Amino acid sequence: MTTATDEDRLNETFAALANSTRRAILARLAQGEATVNELAEPFELTLPAISKHIKVLEQAGLVVQGKRAQFRPCSLDAAPLEEISTWAEQYRPVWEARFDRMDDYVTQLVRTQRRDRRTR
Amino acid sequence: MTDDSTSQDALVIERRFDAPVELIWQMWTIPEHFKAWYGPDGATIPVAKLDVRVGGTRLVCLEISSPQGAMQMWFTGEYREVIENQRLVYTESISDENGNVASASDAGGPEGHPTTTEVRVELEDLGGHTRMIMTHTGIPGDSPGALGWAMALDKLATHVAALGEQ
Repeated sequence: MTTATDEDRLNETFAALANSTRRAILARLAQGEATVNELAEPFELTLPAISKHIKVLEQAGLVVQGKRAQFRPCSLDAAPLEEISTWAEQYRPVWEARFDRMDDYVTQLVRTQRRDRRTR
Repeated sequence: MTDDSTSQDALVIERRFDAPVELIWQMWTIPEHFKAWYGPDGATIPVAKLDVRVGGTRLVCLEISSPQGAMQMWFTGEYREVIENQRLVYTESISDENGNVASASDAGGPEGHPTTTEVRVELEDLGGHTRMIMTHTGIPGDSPGALGWAMALDKLATHVAALGEQ
């Protein structure tokens, strides 16, 4: 029952994917590992800007950056994507969290209504 | 009475609430209540226009804060069935702030993917308690509009899965 953590991670995945440059980077990495320089090539962006995008993808667990040598090639980690591979299931944690909040909210409202009725 | 249950890709969630059915109905139909629970964590609902009658329009704005700043997403749709305290059915598509549905070309998603989704809420009065069944389905076909990033994501996931099988 680690739904809060699951949802946090899912939010992070979605936030990471809600950007066309980052999706393009992932599409490139799906074809094989690449250095930051190689990843920057197709974009009219500076290296620091690309590095920032890679950092976001790394934090979302979608990209792993190697430690060897100065090239530090990036590669794709598809695990977070597999979790949300069907569009309907990708909404499950979102809806479950919503209904948890609905539950808390109505419980609070019912309690307030009862109290108001008593004091009336 | 299981209309359109042929859709392959559906999400069904059943919940019981310790609250009367009238209150759960209001959770879906009164903007003030709807805003209180609808946004995912880290998101708020600055706008919820809910014209709850058959053929009535809805327009909802979801604002997500991310390290890159606030991101607004707009959704529009139409109410298809409205039976107070029992049944609510509405459609949902990604749109702009004026409720214009995003064009399929904007999304760049694969063909045959649902571009509009349908949310069905069924409520059952259990005498002071409520059973709620929510069904979220894709509407197949080439209706205009798109799931935007969700579609791009699917495309990517499919691509990645295919590579993994090689």
